Parts: sequence; structure tokens; C-alpha cells
Amino acid sequence: MTTPREQVRSLDDPEVMVQTPGTIYDTIPPLTPRTEREAEFYDVGDGEMLVNLGPQHPSTHGVLRVVLKIDGEKIVDLDPVMGYLHRGVEKICEHGDWHHAISNTDPLEYAASMFSESLPVLSAERLLELEVPRRAEYIRVLAWELNRISSHALFIGWLALDLGGITPILYGFGERDEIVEMLASLTGQKLLFNYMRIGGVNGDLNHDFLSRLGDWMSRAGARINDQATLMNENEIFVNRTKGLGVVSREMALQYGMSGPPLRATGVPYDVRRAHPYSVYPELEFDIPVRSDGDSYARYLLHVDEIKQSLRIIDQVLHQMPDGPVMAKLPRLLRVPPGRAFAALESPRGQYAVYAVSDGSDQPFRFRIHDPSFFNLQAVVPLTRGHLLADIMAIMASLDPIMGGIDK
Amino acid sequence: MRTDRIPGLAIVKGMLFAVRQVFRPNLTVRYPEELNEISPRHRGRLILLYDEAGTLKCETCFQCAQACPIECIDMGGVDTRNRYHVHWGASEQYAERREESALRRSGRPVPDRTFDPFEPVDLGPLDEILAAGKYKPANALAMLESAQGVYGHLPVAALQHMAHQTGADYAALYGMATSYPHLHFEPPVGHIVRVCRCTQCTLLGGGRVLAAFREHLGTDVGGVSPDGAVRLDVTACGGTSSGSAYVEVDGEPLPKSSPEDAATIAAALRANVPQGEAA
Amino acid sequence: MSAATTPTPTPAGVSPLGKVVLALLAVVLAGALAFFLLWVTGVGPLAVDWIIETGDANIEILRFIAAATGVLLFTVPAAFVIIYMELKLIAQMNLRVGPDRTGPWGSLASLMAGLKVLSKEDFTPRGVDVPVYTLAPAVVFLASVMTLLVIPFAPGMAGYYMELGLLYFFAASGIGVVGLMMAGWSSFNKYSLLGGIRAAAAVISYELPLILGTFGVVLLAGTLNLGQIVENQAGWMWNWYAFQQPLALIIFFIAATAEAGRTPFDYTEADSELVAGFATEYSGMRFGFFFFAEYVNVFILSALTVTLFLGGYHTGVDIDPILGFLGVTTPVELGNIDPGSLGPWLLAIPFLVPPILVLAVSGLIWMVKSEWGIIKSLVVGFVLTNLLVGAAVSFWAIFSFEALLGLLVFFGKSFGLVALFVLMRATYPRVRIDQMANFAWKWLMPAALLNIFVTAGAIIIVREYFS
Repeated sequence: MTTPREQVRSLDDPEVMVQTPGTIYDTIPPLTPRTEREAEFYDVGDGEMLVNLGPQHPSTHGVLRVVLKIDGEKIVDLDPVMGYLHRGVEKICEHGDWHHAISNTDPLEYAASMFSESLPVLSAERLLELEVPRRAEYIRVLAWELNRISSHALFIGWLALDLGGITPILYGFGERDEIVEMLASLTGQKLLFNYMRIGGVNGDLNHDFLSRLGDWMSRAGARINDQATLMNENEIFVNRTKGLGVVSREMALQYGMSGPPLRATGVPYDVRRAHPYSVYPELEFDIPVRSDGDSYARYLLHVDEIKQSLRIIDQVLHQMPDGPVMAKLPRLLRVPPGRAFAALESPRGQYAVYAVSDGSDQPFRFRIHDPSFFNLQAVVPLTRGHLLADIMAIMASLDPIMGGIDK
Repeated sequence: MRTDRIPGLAIVKGMLFAVRQVFRPNLTVRYPEELNEISPRHRGRLILLYDEAGTLKCETCFQCAQACPIECIDMGGVDTRNRYHVHWGASEQYAERREESALRRSGRPVPDRTFDPFEPVDLGPLDEILAAGKYKPANALAMLESAQGVYGHLPVAALQHMAHQTGADYAALYGMATSYPHLHFEPPVGHIVRVCRCTQCTLLGGGRVLAAFREHLGTDVGGVSPDGAVRLDVTACGGTSSGSAYVEVDGEPLPKSSPEDAATIAAALRANVPQGEAA
Repeated sequence: MSAATTPTPTPAGVSPLGKVVLALLAVVLAGALAFFLLWVTGVGPLAVDWIIETGDANIEILRFIAAATGVLLFTVPAAFVIIYMELKLIAQMNLRVGPDRTGPWGSLASLMAGLKVLSKEDFTPRGVDVPVYTLAPAVVFLASVMTLLVIPFAPGMAGYYMELGLLYFFAASGIGVVGLMMAGWSSFNKYSLLGGIRAAAAVISYELPLILGTFGVVLLAGTLNLGQIVENQAGWMWNWYAFQQPLALIIFFIAATAEAGRTPFDYTEADSELVAGFATEYSGMRFGFFFFAEYVNVFILSALTVTLFLGGYHTGVDIDPILGFLGVTTPVELGNIDPGSLGPWLLAIPFLVPPILVLAVSGLIWMVKSEWGIIKSLVVGFVLTNLLVGAAVSFWAIFSFEALLGLLVFFGKSFGLVALFVLMRATYPRVRIDQMANFAWKWLMPAALLNIFVTAGAIIIVREYFS
């Protein structure tokens, strides 16, 4: 619910802001509600206040505006307003090449961008029915799992930071720093890697990367254990998150949630096992599942997933075959017309894309399904009736990334 | 686990853990004494690469400019026999930049052609000003004001000479000059009307005054009226508002400004054209 | 607005340092001239006599003024030290470095923070209630600072010895709540209002456990006079009230954490929730007052804990019996040496002893460090001799003036507790406000009441049956 176009005033308007001293205390005239939900929300009762958890806020994981209707300290209703980070990614992708789409979809999930880069890649490979070399597949799995660990390390830190603890996030960043420097020696960048290519990856493993990876594996997860020591049994932390934001199985399935919020309710749905892609069928790992559905369970699930990712990385390093890392493709890539759906398991859930190609060298349409978008919608029913401090705990435990939500 | 049974034990354990971290080596890289190792594959450096023999690797094949999804690479060059000029990319974005490769490979000396189109000026007085300011970038503002006093405006060649002599970046001097409304880069022409657009002046009706001037002078902010007599610009009042918006005509602030006066002032200035002095 | 038409010539004048020196010289000359004139005309000695007379007559008032000024001047450096400790310690716990560049090991960082806060624009937003808005920081700051008046820093060194010292302390620190509410309400801002009310609720909930926790000590000591309470803990460490009232110490410490607004109870600065709480609309030195008041609060609550439970300025070691056992009297008394008996050697000693010492130390260094020349060993020897003599004099001062030893011990203990506060901030997340209120009213207060009953019962039993 943004300000309607007629009410937006431009600074070039000569009438703007010319006020007499008597008018500064005039209240802003109420908006005419356009939907029933707006009418219900903006009908402020006695003693209730509308407060903005504004777009600029240290704890909203990006630019998210949440209009809260609070009664004292208790939250009566919420209205998240998204769109502050909308960059028109899907539209931009239509204007470039299929290869340009890789660097355009990078910033969708900026904390773990190997996943969002893989969307145009996987969909193009399905349309082309391309055989990706085995070595490239294994390197992709390695990149994905490293990104998953770094994203989860960051999640644990964010959750603690939003609750007020300032130490675990620095341990998380220490771990993430090491992983990201490793990936920088492999791909050339630390955040938006631009490493996936249609038909493979952009470059083989090199000595620098392998030596850093070896060093890191020997103390892998040590810092995550540190974070866990500080937080797992800490009574203050447990009291803040246990029993909070309980998502039931039905609610999770109704809202279309995926990833750790879904698995914490007891539904063992993981795209890597449900719709296998790449070389995941050949790797052995478990899908951690918990049944409590509250924030504490989601937190513990993230820690479990890190352990599983370490297992996967270990197997990948042992089973890595030799070969080329990129399939042979014509220089001007024309993807055959058709539609393809490709889904991945990202740290936040199911990242999927529905790609439509019209036979030219530019994609016709990408429709990107971002898991944070669906996970974040659960914030509204979960937070009603709780206190102001709980909205942070709930939102942080759902792990949203605004880049993907606003695209 | 023991920590479940005894309340408060986990809290103490957490504190002891934190204290132990004090004695571990920290992760900070103390720049600039310590530098982070940059991997050879790092693509963040905006340089042209040379190979082991010292030859430039760039072939001017335009593939990078063509592949860039946001069209931020702009290349221009002269072919090796100086026959024609090649350009790829949005020409306005980064101005015409001569690409090093073709020139350097041709074996000719490479002048800094960026400032070629700008007329040269007599640099004698500027040298005196620079000597008086001791060639220090810290005195740049005083030197720029003196230069404007000598030349009437700040010519590009003067700025370039100043940049060379003081060691400051051209961009830094240019940027500094743009922050001050009394320094300008084109030769003074006719009269200048300046209106303040700060919040206070806008609340006092500045928007209306500016709109009136726009209408009566027939130009927008930063432009010159169609007969070339009056220029309209913006300024900052510095908080000195006196009940009406701050308007300056040829450097003199008006005691009171209103949209009705704008018409009369505009007409008066246009009639009074031959006054090539502006402060 | 017109630009200069000629380049300005460099002023061939005095450098800035020269100007400062000249100004100081002028002041010194004027002062010397005034002094000379006063002495010559006889007005000077008369004025001096009058000053000394009135001073003697009103010594109490003068002492109070000096104490109050000292207390006020003490707060800001103490706050700076605590801020530096917080920045550095938390950084080390976070595997970071903390401030490193301003001053050696970043020690001037907090001073720079203070100067930065002082140099910001001081504005009053439109729509606030101006007198309340302006006074709120002053109230919060003074509430913390006034309590420093009664804390005994060293034997004989408290600002003012009151019979009702502890009562005055709690009364003064309770005024801070009023300041918080003033700040939250007068800012024309919903966030400030919410933040102010939360902070006030937190502080008020923990006032009761704080005060009730001290009743055990008051019952045992029989007085509210803080100086007397510290004196009762003289001697060996087991005399400290911490060993007789462990539950009260825990309750008091937790309540003090909430009173000072520190994590895990920091609602006043819960910046991941409501911007900056009640201080959202404050900037510049007004915010600086709140900032300093918080750190001074931390210090005074640590100081009170030390005074009530941890022995105040006593070391916990009773050295007199040990010294008596060893047959050693207190270290060298200057009164035993009679300077008059030395004759002309009295003048010679200051001129002979230092050079001999320096030469001896330098000679040792020169012999040991073969690669150093004579000049270098002389210089190093000089510096080292100065350091050694300074250390020897400090030790002598510390052990013969109990005030100095007491001061050091008191500050050591207080800053140790402050370090504990800082440790807690680094480690714990925030407690939710209803959980915090729950904890205060349902757990801490009954525990404090239980403590009082048990203590009173024990006193009665001991008095009846054992003495």
C-alpha cells in the first residue's frame, strides 16, 4: 500500500510545502482505502498507534517497510510494504542475451548468489537439452554447498544481532570471510560471483582455491560451533525464540513456504531429493527435519544443514572426476523455443524459474519464484498478538533476503 | 547436558567462552600495514593487462563492450594508420576516451588527448597564482578564486595546468569548483539571476518565484534566456532568509522577492543587456 | 560575493605556535607586574590574610564545594575510560581490533567521540515541548552524578559523609527515571514515546529488587552510612559482606544491570528495535549527556556494589599482623632523619646523588649491551633511572599513605565490575520486556524479601543464643 499517484507531490511543484505557521500541526488527511484489507488495517482503534518499521531499519534484512498497528507494546496488525528494492530484474533479463541473464540474476540472492545465477543456466540447459560435463557438475555442487554454509553462518549471526547479541555475527562473518575469499580465488569476486555458465562453469579449480579449501576443511565449522556454543543453550536466547512464531504444517503448505521454515514443521521436502538435479542423486546426505515449527527449531535446523553440507563437500572432493568444465556451445547462442521450469534448493528454500524462449538469442520471459517472498508472508499471521520485540525474532528466523523478494 | 539442569550455568559458560576469545588472534587485517592477498583471478581491477613479454593483451576486439550487460564499457580509438576514428558505446557517458591500445601499438608518442578540444589560455598569471598558493592543494579554493578573477571564469586549460602543478586530481579541483556557486566554468554572459532552493526558502515561496522566473525568462535552471542576456541559476542562501526567498541578481541579494517582481526584474535585465560583468 | 582580483600575499608574520607563546608571555608578565605592585603597596599580604581567615572559618563549605567540583570533574574521564574499555574489550571478544589509530592503541578514541558529540549541531526540533526537552538530559545526568557524592573512594575521601548515605544514593538515582520519561514524552515522536515508556518501566521494575537487596547488608551493618559500612569490612577478605549475603549480591548485581540499562536489559538503546529509543530526537551534546550519564551510571552502580559487598577500598589482606610477625614497622619514616644534622652535605646531596645513580645505571647498561655507544647508554640510563626512582617513590607513597592504596584498590575493583558489565554486553542477547518484568516481579523481589527475612532471623538467633 504505497501512496497513490495523485497524492505524490513533486519538489518542482511551486505549490509544494508553502505553509503558514498554523498548518504544521495539521494531520495528514486519511487515505481512501482501496481494498477491504486496507480499510480494516487503517481503521485505527482507541489507543492504537500506526508506527513504521521503516524502510531504513537495522533489522529488516534489507529495505522492507512494515506498518505496525500497535496497542502499547502489543502488535495488533501488520502490513508489510515491499518493493523498495525492486530493480526490474525480470525485465532487464529480457533485453540481454541468455548469458547476460547470469550477471543480471546474480543480485537476487546476494548472500548466496551461486543459486540465483544458476536459474537461467539450468533453464537454458533444459531447453537446449545440453549435456553438462561431469566435472562441471561436481564443481557446481561444490560452489552451491560452500554458498549454503556461508549463508547459514550469516543467518545465525543475523538472528543473534536482531535479538541484541553483538558477538555471534562477527564469528559468522569470520567464517563467511574465509569461504568467500576461497570463492574469490576461484571465481574472481567475493559477492556476485558470475561463475555459472550455460554448459558448465567459468573456470577450473586452481591451486590457490584448493589449498585454501584444504586449510578450511581442517577447521571447517569451528566458528559455527563457537556461534552455537554462545547461542544454543543460552537461556536468554532460548526464551526469546522457543515457542515463538510457530508455523503449523498446514499453514506452511498453504502459504507455499519452502526450505528451512517448511522443514522445521515436519515436512521433509527438499528439492535436492524431491526433484533431483545435477549430481545430487549420487551423493549421500540426510535432510534434517524438525517438528516444532518455532523459531528455535528453525535455528537448530540451519545448524544441522551446515553439517550436512560439510558432508557433501567432503564427498565431492573425493569423487571429483577429470574432464572439461564447459560444454561446447556456439558463440551466438540461440535457445530453441519452448518453456522450461528449473528448481534448486537454496539456503532459503526452493528457488525456481519458469523460462520462456522464443528461439532468439534473448530470453522471452523469466518468471522467478523466490522462496523468501513466500516465507516472508507468514510474518503477518505469526506476529499478530506478540510484542514489538518479537517481530525481529520471527522475521529473522524466516531468513528473508529482500533482493529476491523485490526482484 | 548439565546446562539444562542448572539454571544460569549456560549463561556463565557463554561468558567464559567470550573471555577466552579475547586471547585468540583476531581476524582483522590492519590496512595499510597488512594487505589482504588478492587472488590472480580477481576481476576488480580496472586496468589493461600486459603479458610476460610486456606486450599489451588487449586487442581492441570490442567483445568486452559488446558483452557487458549494462553497457558500461566505452571504447574509442584511432586505427594504426590514423585513417579513421573508431568508437563503440554510448558517446556521452564517459566522454571520448582514446583507447590506449591502438595508439600504443602504433609506436607513436601518446599525448593526453582528453583536453585537446579546449582552447589554450595564457598560463603566466596562473603560474603566479600557483606560486603564491605554494602549489598546495589545500589552498585550492583561494587559487581557484584568484584564477577566476584573472580569466573571468575557470577555463579547462587553467584547471588542467593547476592539476598538473599541484598534483591534485583534475576531478578533485573540478568537483570542488562545482560546490561553490560563485565559481563558474563558462565565460560570463550578461546577467545572472540566482534563486535559493533550500527548504526554508521553499517554504517561504521560493518555488513560485523560481517558476515565475522560469516563465518570464523563458529558460530553465542552468540555462540562458533565448536572447542570451540573462542566465538563471540556483544558489544556497546559507540560512540568510529574510521573510522571503533568497534571490540574487548579479551577485546582489534582493531585499524582497515575489513572483510579481520576477516579471519586472526579468524585463529590466533583458533591456539592459550590455553588461558583460558578473560576479 | 565577488572573487578576489589579486592574489593575496602570504602574511609574513608570526606562526601559530609563536602566537600562543607570545600570549602566554604577555599573561605571565602581566601577572608578575600585578604581583609586584600588590606586594609593594602592601595590599597583597592583607588580601592573602583575609582569604586565609575566611577560608578557615568556612572550611566545611569549602570542602563541600571542592568535593562537588571534584566529583563533577571526575565523571567525564571515568566515562571516557569506560567507553574505551567497552570498545576495546568487546572488539577483542569479537575477534576484532577495536580502535587502533587514534592515540596509542586507540586510547584517544573515546576522547574523540566526546569531541565529535560536542561539535554537532544543537537544534530543537519543531513541535517539542521546549523546557522539558532541554531539561531532560540535565536531569538524567545529574541524577547519576549526584550519587557520587556519598561513595567512599578511600579512607577519609568521600564527597560528604552522610548518616543516611544509602538512602540519599537511591533517592538521587531514582530521579533518573523522571528524566527518561521527560525525554520520551517531550520529543514529538512516537518512537521516543515508546522507547521512553519501555525504559522507564524497566528501570522502575528493578528499583525494588535493587533496594531490597541492600537491606540485608543494612541489617548486618546497622547503619545507612556508607563509610561505616566499608569500615565494617576491614581486615581479611571473609569480612566482606559478599560472603555473608551471597544471594543479595546476585540480586543486586542483576538489578544493577537493569538499572544501568545494560544488556541483557538495554531498552534504552535497543537499536535493533526502535531506532534510538527515547533519545531519537536528541543530537549533539544533549545526546552526549545521555550517553555519559549511562556510563557514569554503570560506574556508580559498580562502585556501590564494591562498597556494599566487596569491601570498598580495603585490600582484603590485613598486613599489620604479618608485618608485626616479621618485626617490620611501617616503611621508612621521614621523620627519623633530621635534615639539619647533615650540614653542607644537605645541599650537596641533590647535586651528587642523581648523577652518581645515572652513571651507575648507564655504566651497567653500557657493559651489558655491547653494541651501544656511550651516549646511547647514558640517555637510556637517564630515562631508566628516572623510571626507577619514580616507581620507588610511588611504591613508598602507596604503602605509607593509605589513601593512595585505598584509591587504587577501589578503582581496581570498580573497573573490574565494569569489565563484567562489558562482558555481559558482548555475550548476551536482549531479554524481552515482558520476560524482564516477569523476572523482576516474580523472581527477584520474592528472593530479596526471602533474603531479608532469613538475615533478620539469623541476626536474632545469633544475638539470642550466641552472645
